[in-house]
Amino acid sequence: MSTSQQPQTLAAPAPRAEVPRSSQLQFRITRFLGWFLVRATLIFICVLWTVPTFGLLISSLRDKDALAVSGWWESLQSTITQDQGRSGTAADQIEQEGRYIISGNLLPEGDRREISSFGLTATGFDDFAVGETATTNEGFEITVLEDGTYRLISMEPIPESFSRGQRITFQAETPPRLTLENYDEVINTEGLGDAFLNTATVTIPATIIPIAIAAFAAYAFSWMRFPGRLLLLSIVVGLIVVPLQLSLIPVLRVYNTLELRGTYPGIWLAHTGFGLPLAVFLLYNYISSLPRDLIESAQIDGASHFDIFIRLVVPLSVPALASFTIFQFLWVWNDLLVALVFLGTRPENQVLTSQLNDLVGSRGDNWEIMTASAFVSIAVPLLVFFALQRYFVRGMMAGSVKGG
Amino acid sequence: MDQFVNAALAILLGVGGMLVYFYGTNFVLDTTLADRFAADGKLIHSNARSRERIRPWLFVGPAMLLLTFYLLYPAADTFRRSFYDARSENFVGLDNYEWAINSSGFQQSVQNNVLWLLVVPFASTGLGLLIAVLADRVRWEAAAKALIFMPMAISFVGAAIIWRFMYAYRAPGETQIGVMNAILVWFGGQPQTWITEPPLNNFMLMLILVWIQTGFAMVLLSAALKGVPEETIEAARIDGANEIQIFFRIMIPQIAGTLAVVMTTIVIVTLKVFDIVLVMTDGQYDTEVLGNYMYRWIFRNLDYGKASVIALSIMVATLPFMFWNVYRFRREEKLR
Amino acid sequence: MSKKLVTLLTLLLLIAVAVPNLAVAQDEEDLLFPIGEGPFTWSDLEPFQEMDLSGEEVVFFGPWQTDDLESVTNVVEYFNFATGANVIYIGSDSFEQQIVIDCESGDPPNLAAFPQPGLAANLAASGCLTPLGEEERQFVLDNYAAGQSWVDLATYANPNGEEQFYGLFYNVNLKSIVWYVPDNFADAGYEIPATWDELVALSEQIVADGGTPWCIGVGSGPATGWPATDWVEDIMLRTVEPEVYTQWTTNELPFTDERVQNAIEMFGMIARNDDFVAGGAVGAQTTDFRDSPAGLFTLPPECYMHRQASFIAAFFPEDVEVGVDTDFFYFPPIDPMMGNPVLGGGTVVTIAEDSEATREFYRFLQTSLAHELWMAQAGFLTPHTGANLDAYSSDVLRGQGEILVNADTFGFDGSDLMPGAIGAGAFWTGMVDYLGGASVEEVTEFVQSEWDAIK
Repeated sequence: MSTSQQPQTLAAPAPRAEVPRSSQLQFRITRFLGWFLVRATLIFICVLWTVPTFGLLISSLRDKDALAVSGWWESLQSTITQDQGRSGTAADQIEQEGRYIISGNLLPEGDRREISSFGLTATGFDDFAVGETATTNEGFEITVLEDGTYRLISMEPIPESFSRGQRITFQAETPPRLTLENYDEVINTEGLGDAFLNTATVTIPATIIPIAIAAFAAYAFSWMRFPGRLLLLSIVVGLIVVPLQLSLIPVLRVYNTLELRGTYPGIWLAHTGFGLPLAVFLLYNYISSLPRDLIESAQIDGASHFDIFIRLVVPLSVPALASFTIFQFLWVWNDLLVALVFLGTRPENQVLTSQLNDLVGSRGDNWEIMTASAFVSIAVPLLVFFALQRYFVRGMMAGSVKGG
Repeated sequence: MDQFVNAALAILLGVGGMLVYFYGTNFVLDTTLADRFAADGKLIHSNARSRERIRPWLFVGPAMLLLTFYLLYPAADTFRRSFYDARSENFVGLDNYEWAINSSGFQQSVQNNVLWLLVVPFASTGLGLLIAVLADRVRWEAAAKALIFMPMAISFVGAAIIWRFMYAYRAPGETQIGVMNAILVWFGGQPQTWITEPPLNNFMLMLILVWIQTGFAMVLLSAALKGVPEETIEAARIDGANEIQIFFRIMIPQIAGTLAVVMTTIVIVTLKVFDIVLVMTDGQYDTEVLGNYMYRWIFRNLDYGKASVIALSIMVATLPFMFWNVYRFRREEKLR
Repeated sequence: MSKKLVTLLTLLLLIAVAVPNLAVAQDEEDLLFPIGEGPFTWSDLEPFQEMDLSGEEVVFFGPWQTDDLESVTNVVEYFNFATGANVIYIGSDSFEQQIVIDCESGDPPNLAAFPQPGLAANLAASGCLTPLGEEERQFVLDNYAAGQSWVDLATYANPNGEEQFYGLFYNVNLKSIVWYVPDNFADAGYEIPATWDELVALSEQIVADGGTPWCIGVGSGPATGWPATDWVEDIMLRTVEPEVYTQWTTNELPFTDERVQNAIEMFGMIARNDDFVAGGAVGAQTTDFRDSPAGLFTLPPECYMHRQASFIAAFFPEDVEVGVDTDFFYFPPIDPMMGNPVLGGGTVVTIAEDSEATREFYRFLQTSLAHELWMAQAGFLTPHTGANLDAYSSDVLRGQGEILVNADTFGFDGSDLMPGAIGAGAFWTGMVDYLGGASVEEVTEFVQSEWDAIK
């Protein structure tokens, strides 16, 4: 997805006249250095900016247990972990040729770990190599094999009091593994589809409506004459500073009397209201910088302001509209507070962010779920970014202005 | 499928309703105040003047209405409540203001906010501009910009997890699972408790906001840079200007407006910052900021009087930037 | 632009629809425990089965999430099944913020379960909550162990300043317990300490043996610091009379009092001793309380003891079986004069928006059955004396439940009783600062000055 229409080079203008050799060489070196520096700096910044997110991506593909043990950059190395298991109890013993045996496996089914050593105390996990025999305080003999199978042998019948089994500590090597299980869990959450639909229903109008309203207003502030124009503009822009948290309660009181709470129009308008000042500010900045001749010549041709806006200004403002679309889309998509407050907490009204937030829950220890869910919700905004990125192209603005 | 249809209908209604308003009102205006023509097509009376006197209000009307309800009215209410007690029942005069001046939490918040203001807007805008300029010169511009932009696209919950992984601390000698400490230890340093050690922790929190906001600055500045006419740059090149000169003498003046907008926006975002602080430290370890302090007084202490004073101080702090912008509007108006 | 955008967005909608939805049905087979079987007081359900509340919707808003959400929903379903009403439990991670917004904007839920009585008191004073009658108050007095404590904790001033009874404690936790791993104690030959001195001696013994006695983690995101306040409260309960403890929570006893300072310093003796705490005092400051108990279960053990409430069991590593791999002992008394007090916390269910079905649901929550149904799941304790202890899903829970039912003094989490600015603010911050090396005078003066500021 290359967006630059003309390939850009850092090159200074090509030498037009004949230049002495030495300075030509010097020029080439400078040019190469510039070429190199641009790329090196950019790559450096990009890496720096991506490392945190990349870490999250890798973490989302790791086993839950591995997350807390080693850094994500070590996820392709085997990890050595210490763990413990418990033997069967007296009830599990089998008599065999006068000996009493309890056997089983310390590792759960499907576990891929390989045991290297074991022991009987918390600190003694490497007291015995696999295959060796340890003796418990009660005089039982225990052997553990690499695959986790153990055998506890007693010469006497094992008494009932052996009800908790014997703790066996061990050291095991876990081969590295990346898995999509975390994503599986997030995507198969009950109601995620509904939440997705709710989010779309909130986000699309809540992105388009404020942009349209702001564009009309920004145009009026830029190119129409009416009393109090600059004062109104200043007030609009000044309202950017009002903290959202303070608006919630007064607005919600009115919503409750109008029964707007929990409705889609209610939340669209809320997002529109909260997003408008910045939208007007950004779009005014752009629309007011369009060439005066252009608007005036259209007026002379008899076009009304409505026609000028729709036919001339909107097409010219595509890059500005596109950038604001991205931002407004992101804010609404990732918003939790406004959705919770205006749409409510009922399950059928849940948006994606609140669904994911609830999935993570108050427990906060499900890091593996959190990491995966963060990526589930990032996919769509990135798509939108790529879809709109094509409108930031050189010459688009300058070129069309010339043509108009 | 029903839900899908409902959602689609709702969206159509929402977006359609707004379009109907703009097209409809303008149509009504154009027909009720139409110019009158004689039978031979000659203009008898033009209503253009009255039409164009009404039209601006059709354009700004919806914006003004919504803003009045969603922001202006709450702001005015905040001002009123700042003179009342916790439940906004009894008039207390300037008590809340007096409280703010003497409150150590408030003082600390102001100090920290100043610190944030000195770092975040400049760092984000500067980096955003640098990236916009550099990315403009490589073929993989889209990819580079997408990577820088990504932090903006991550929900706040996600960003909080990311940075917990970055700053995670384990005691010296244990395996570090946080990137920053792992690097530090690798170079032979001692692991740091990044978010509990003032004043370092303040900068660590700022880093998160810079990480997020640079993408914002980059998108807008990049779009503005693309608007600088190629011919102007070409002409300067022919006149022998080098790239640095072109950047400072041609590009910067051309995108000054956008730079101002980006700076202003990030200044306001910085002043209002609260969720980063709430999630990472909740203002403990000397990291309190006004936004979080206000949140605490609304939702934990249920004191609207004090919360209103804090909110007003955030608004007052942004006034200079607002005046600057209004001044800019006026100047540009004259230049046009 | 618009065409492509529309295509993209339509695509998104299509993806959304492709994800299947699961409907929830309400049948007897869907109930978690079959009616008529098990250690439940099924007769409690009969009066409700005679009611017909079909079409009545009741919103029950609370802080329970994930596993707890599932458990409480399972309980609610019995009521819905019996009466035909539609009680919807909604859990939110941001309960405290949400309930304030709901109340202030005039659209509260029918019932709200508050994890902190302080917030409930604030909202009662604002007129958002509906006071309950004498009958409901008497019920708690008669049926809850240490009933008067529970009544006091749910009695708040209404908007006119009159004291009224507002709610029923449902889901209680026990804080005065220390978790340990019996195998580790057995390996090293440690005995369970019965007094504070034995506890300190054991800690020193563990250090002498090359181990670390305690895991402490006070991190909790925005609520960082509360685990430290629990320690101080537990020590306060053991060193001062119950009346003095209550005075402390109302600031009749100033924070700068030497008894408070003494309690903080006793905590500091352990928490600020780098040898006593895994990761040192810095470790206590930076470890999240949810990650903190993991140190008990590592090999070799990072620590041998962890003082934390009953609910922490939900955060133990997945394969840990409570009762086998780990157990708890009672946080030992300090001053024998003070007996064996119990510190705890709990969730109080209040009525905000009254209705007939809401009242009936409240009555349902008073039944032994409503308590047993959650006891039989997990993460629930109750001082309800009518509830059958056999219903507890494990011996450990039963053990904790017995402590609650037999408690003579029940001290409620002090920070929850203090005003939010202190109990959920300055006290937390102060304790974090204390762990960071601030002196006890600095810390107590800071908390006291913050308290003075809100008087």
